Amino acid sequence: MTNKKLNFWYLSSFVVSLFVAIPILTVFSSYFSSTSEYMELLKTTFLKDYIINSAIILFGVLFLTFILGVLSAYFVSFYNFWGVNFFKWALILSFAVPAYIYAYSLTAFFENYGSLFSLLTWVFGEQNYNQYIPKFDGMFGAIISMSFSLFGYVYVLTRASFYHQSNNLIEVSKNLGLTASESFFKIILPSARPAIVAGLSLVAMECLSDFGTVSFFSVSTLTTGIYNSWLAFDDLNTANQLSFILLIIILSLFLFENYSRGGAKYHQNTNAGFRKIPRIELKGTKSFYPILFCSFIFLLSFIFPLSQMIYWTAKFPKYFQDTNILELNLNTLLLVFLASSILICLAFLINFGNRISKSKILDNLSMFSISGYAIPGVILAVAFISFFSWLSDILTNNFNLPSIKGIFIGSIFGLIAAYFIRFYSLAFNGIKSSYLKINQSIDDSSYLLGYSKFRTFRKIHFPNLKNSIYLISILIAIEIIKELPITLILRPFNFETFATKAYAYASQDLLEAAALPSLFLIFWSAILIFFTSRHILSEK
Amino acid sequence: MKKVTLTSVFLLLAFISSLFANEVNIFSARHYDSDVQLYEKFTAKTGIKVNVISGKSGALEKRIIEEGADSVADLYITADAGRLGAFDAKGMLQSGLNTKAIKSAVPSNFRTSKWTGIAKRARIVYFAPERVTGAELAGLTYESLADPKWKGRIVIRASNNIYNQSLVASLIKNNSKAAAAEWSKGIVSNMARAPKGNDRAQILAVAAGEADIAVANTYYLALMLSGKKGPEQQAAAKKVKPFFPNQDGRGTHMNISGAGLIKGAPNKANAIKLVEFLLSEEAQNHIVNNTFEYPMIAGVSPHPLVVNMGLDFKQDLKTKVVNYGKLQADALAAMTGAGWK
Repeated sequence: MTNKKLNFWYLSSFVVSLFVAIPILTVFSSYFSSTSEYMELLKTTFLKDYIINSAIILFGVLFLTFILGVLSAYFVSFYNFWGVNFFKWALILSFAVPAYIYAYSLTAFFENYGSLFSLLTWVFGEQNYNQYIPKFDGMFGAIISMSFSLFGYVYVLTRASFYHQSNNLIEVSKNLGLTASESFFKIILPSARPAIVAGLSLVAMECLSDFGTVSFFSVSTLTTGIYNSWLAFDDLNTANQLSFILLIIILSLFLFENYSRGGAKYHQNTNAGFRKIPRIELKGTKSFYPILFCSFIFLLSFIFPLSQMIYWTAKFPKYFQDTNILELNLNTLLLVFLASSILICLAFLINFGNRISKSKILDNLSMFSISGYAIPGVILAVAFISFFSWLSDILTNNFNLPSIKGIFIGSIFGLIAAYFIRFYSLAFNGIKSSYLKINQSIDDSSYLLGYSKFRTFRKIHFPNLKNSIYLISILIAIEIIKELPITLILRPFNFETFATKAYAYASQDLLEAAALPSLFLIFWSAILIFFTSRHILSEK
Repeated sequence: MKKVTLTSVFLLLAFISSLFANEVNIFSARHYDSDVQLYEKFTAKTGIKVNVISGKSGALEKRIIEEGADSVADLYITADAGRLGAFDAKGMLQSGLNTKAIKSAVPSNFRTSKWTGIAKRARIVYFAPERVTGAELAGLTYESLADPKWKGRIVIRASNNIYNQSLVASLIKNNSKAAAAEWSKGIVSNMARAPKGNDRAQILAVAAGEADIAVANTYYLALMLSGKKGPEQQAAAKKVKPFFPNQDGRGTHMNISGAGLIKGAPNKANAIKLVEFLLSEEAQNHIVNNTFEYPMIAGVSPHPLVVNMGLDFKQDLKTKVVNYGKLQADALAAMTGAGWK
């Protein structure tokens, strides 16, 4: 290791990793702060509830997303039936609907005198249907909302894994006399295990860090517990203890995911032995179940929230005039553009540095990049504020420097910086995984040919990575369009996005007014998903 | 390079102009579009620009606290006196909202020198006339909701809700901590279902026959009656009737939407001007007709739908709303101690 290497690559990698680790460090460093006596009571009465509620939601969502994701992936991968090519990509449209918007729709449809009530009244005439309408609220509502908006992770990863499974395996199982269901449980499912686990851990992380959905249904979970004890009661100690529990769970999921992904490499087929699986043709009644199942999921995950929002927008056209649609579009576009360019550039820089310096230390340091994704957005935002106020105060008190709070808190710059922390892992790991596909020997040859490192980057790396940059930018864009808690807390004055606007209406009990911004949010996300569907469905 | 220079000049200019701008910065936990229209009116009148950031009260407060002396926040606007009181207790507010205009407009139990109410709401009982008789309701108080005769008939939202915390705080103030804890136990055993949903959901539950009485704020019923929530909810709202408790005693529990003057506010004078404007007849009329709250000042009539709910009820003007903040913690303790979810 020469000093020269140490200078730039180490420094940049170190700075970025440290920056991304700010929220986690902040949360843990305030561990010794005082606690309010009255939180003692909350602790004894609620702590158990928080953990139990989080656990129930987690397992409920994992169970449902497993069933929805794996079964739908199985159907579209191994069978040919009417509409299969449509369902293949239609099912990922569920990514366009964030869980909190799904929650709005669910409530609106099933509540007393809600949309279902109107529908029944319209079809069958006036009667008190309320008592027969099931109520999807509270914990149950939260589980349903999250499951339908998150099952896509399991579906996409499992489908990719099924896709890469060799037909040899299936034929072996047939030769051994296994039935379709036996080969599913004994061959297909186990060999897709790493992908399924990877999908489920993503679901688990999203689920544990959810704030919008559970606070809408007023279910107290670890995340809302942290929020309340920290913000409402100034009890950092309890907040930290809760954060600690939550982070331990999330980090172990990460390790688990990493571990299972690492294992997956060994399962990959060499190209020589790989034979594409011919899909089994299903006609007539046999195709009934897959069609029914896939349409069921597509309808519930995408068409249902979409139509509820369209219905409202049409029913309450007044809000059309009240909403400044152009401004919301421009604001969202600005955030997406700035955040994704910075994320991509820096993720590139660090990946390139890690690659040319071939350093294990840098690789490990980059592991810090996960931390932004592991912390719930709402906690991240508050920690971000706390950190920069602290830093600013130190700079002002000790070095007489002007305050930097205005730069980081309540500015577009600060918002982008917080997004950076949140989504760095997405950008970094996305570029990393496609970098891994470029063989190191190609770099070596390029150096032999006299290319400089920068030229190698420009001529070799960049063209090879172009597709994944495109894909990652769009994934970041979708995440930012849907992002709520960070934007809500850190945005500047008079600045709204679709997500904050929808939230503002929803929190003043005007869900019907939230429909228009929600609709735009879904619309843009769906368009972006449409453009990337080819990539999402082929690679990974 | 030219572009960079131009941009930095522009940014510098923007920065400088922001230093001398005639503006007022509001952190608001109220998300009403109608509030924004009101600020526009204020700007048109005074030339003072109103900057707003809205969000959840907890997060807004945290941001103001952390920004500390550098915060540009002038006014904190939120629903519920409990929140303003608690924020004041953290030392985040300053005196200044005690001008003559404010003092003469707002009754003394709805303000301190640091924060003042700008609109009122009452937390009342809604009942289904088909299932609840006038005799049963006669003389009903908040206290008597804990009576076993309401077993399995009451819906009310969760204990983490600030409106409930303030209601229980007023019970602690008027009775005692122990009595409020006992009362909470009674309410829990009278609940028709585990608490869920917002105030409107409680009223709808009574309309749908899930429960006989609900506890909710006044403006929710008016909102439904107005048809803004669609014809179904309008019809549903007509199936329930409001009842104002504690008429023979201290009066019905009142709460406020209010504004607090933030310590270190860079535009203090403008902030006070804005609060005075919010308490003007014009602004009060705008507020009550959009949010269905009660006016803070005398001489303004609530929205006709609110008038229909009854105006000649006795408001609790004895219990100072400042107590809601002071007793918030005790209130929550009483409820959670009783197993109120």
